[in-house]
Amino acid sequence: MMTKPMVDDLLEGLLIALENEIIPFISSPKAQSTGLMMQSIIQEIRQILPVFDTHIAIEHNQMTQVLRDMSATLDGVTGAEADRIRDRAKSLGTRADVVVPADQIPIRESHRELGFALQDNMTDLDVLQRAGETKADAALQILRTHLLPRLVHDVETLTVGAGVAGRG
Amino acid sequence: MEQSIVTFLERILPDATSIVVEDFQQIAGGFSRETFKCEARVTRGSTEEVMPLILRKDPPDVEAILHTDRSVEHNLIESLRLRTTIPVSQSYGYEMDPKPFGQPAMIIERASGSGQTSALFNGGADEDQAESVIKHLCEVLVELHKCPINKIDPDGALTDPFGRGIKIESWDIFMDSTIEFFESSYKSLNYDPVMIILLDAVYTLRRNKPRAMPLSIVHGDFNPANFLYENGQVSALIDWEASRVGDPREDLGWMVLMDVYSNTHVMDYPKKEGGFLAYYNKLTGNDITPEELGYFMLFGTMEIAVPVQQFVARRVHKEFTLLLPLYVAQTSMAVLPAMAQAMGYMGVSA
Repeated sequence: MMTKPMVDDLLEGLLIALENEIIPFISSPKAQSTGLMMQSIIQEIRQILPVFDTHIAIEHNQMTQVLRDMSATLDGVTGAEADRIRDRAKSLGTRADVVVPADQIPIRESHRELGFALQDNMTDLDVLQRAGETKADAALQILRTHLLPRLVHDVETLTVGAGVAGRG
Repeated sequence: MEQSIVTFLERILPDATSIVVEDFQQIAGGFSRETFKCEARVTRGSTEEVMPLILRKDPPDVEAILHTDRSVEHNLIESLRLRTTIPVSQSYGYEMDPKPFGQPAMIIERASGSGQTSALFNGGADEDQAESVIKHLCEVLVELHKCPINKIDPDGALTDPFGRGIKIESWDIFMDSTIEFFESSYKSLNYDPVMIILLDAVYTLRRNKPRAMPLSIVHGDFNPANFLYENGQVSALIDWEASRVGDPREDLGWMVLMDVYSNTHVMDYPKKEGGFLAYYNKLTGNDITPEELGYFMLFGTMEIAVPVQQFVARRVHKEFTLLLPLYVAQTSMAVLPAMAQAMGYMGVSA
């Protein structure tokens, strides 16, 4: 996968395009209003995406703890309501904590460094190949064998349909 | 803008007594230039003529995919129109002064014919014309490639029109200087490690040069979207801005890739002649092999990929804020498997 442009770069690009390339040319007040709503929602998505999975995991683990704590606080209280709260603590409140996703920024930076290292290897292999070192051919094949499924995966993930907008 | 067109036309049509520009509007496509269409109602004495026009305007420098020169494009189109039978739209002239149109621009005839070339294939409305249109397209390309370079380009403007340091003293020198350009450009387009496929292409091209062939004028962006057709014939070959001196196999290779990319079937026609390559070989006697086609698919791709990915890189580095390069980054991913196949990556299907 590419680490640049990132999803946030694409969303920012949509916002800027709406601002500069679309909204100024819309004559319908209703369509203009929809354009502004789209900008607002795209900005919301930009704010949600980086934190969504982390917040959901943290809140998940906090809620199981809260279920248990509430149940404990009602220790000695009788009645159907208190029993139901204790039941929830025993069922849902005992679910195992989920893993909070790692911070993606250092992972992406490391991914980029490794990717550029493979590029440097390719450059060095080319020199060896042109010098007649046949083992360099085999080493290049290892790299290409690694790259091929990534390319296929990237194309499947990133491209949308066939053809190019605005072409015949 | 309309008044600038009127002023421009008054200069080239001094006998006109009245010029009115109507239906001026920007049109989609032609990503490298801003393209507009309009109609000029020109009166000369008692006669009135309607001229369908296209205005092609340079984008601001930083937003340009390919830095090309409207005067070079004008001179080429007019040379082709006057010295060959290759169907092109007449170019009425150019304006290099940015004042009238905001950027250098040229005005050309809006040729008749359909640009919806996808209608020729896959059960499209004009599929019955595909055989004759593509046969003619092949003949047009052969005429371009067989025409002496100095007949089309007597001033040498197409030797290295984009200032890439390309030399054409021989085929080997042309190939070496072009591959050197690819390599030296790599740093400026390497916005993400996924670009490694282009680096592999540079080295693969250098290690596997095929047999030499006489250089010619090439279209430079010979793809299924760059011709118009009507009545079973090509009515115009369009978008000449990437034209230059090159190896004729470049145009064929680029068409192979773009045919796949566009889900068209130019290379399968004319079927009665065994397909585009077979007919091209029959007309030229060049006997180009599928392996050579694969090499030049890669070579032609790099010719386009370098400026296109530099364009994306400038956007990623936020030198400007257009949406187009982000879309280009997405759509250009689709060519990577074909490039991998041409380089012999294992397991890539045809």
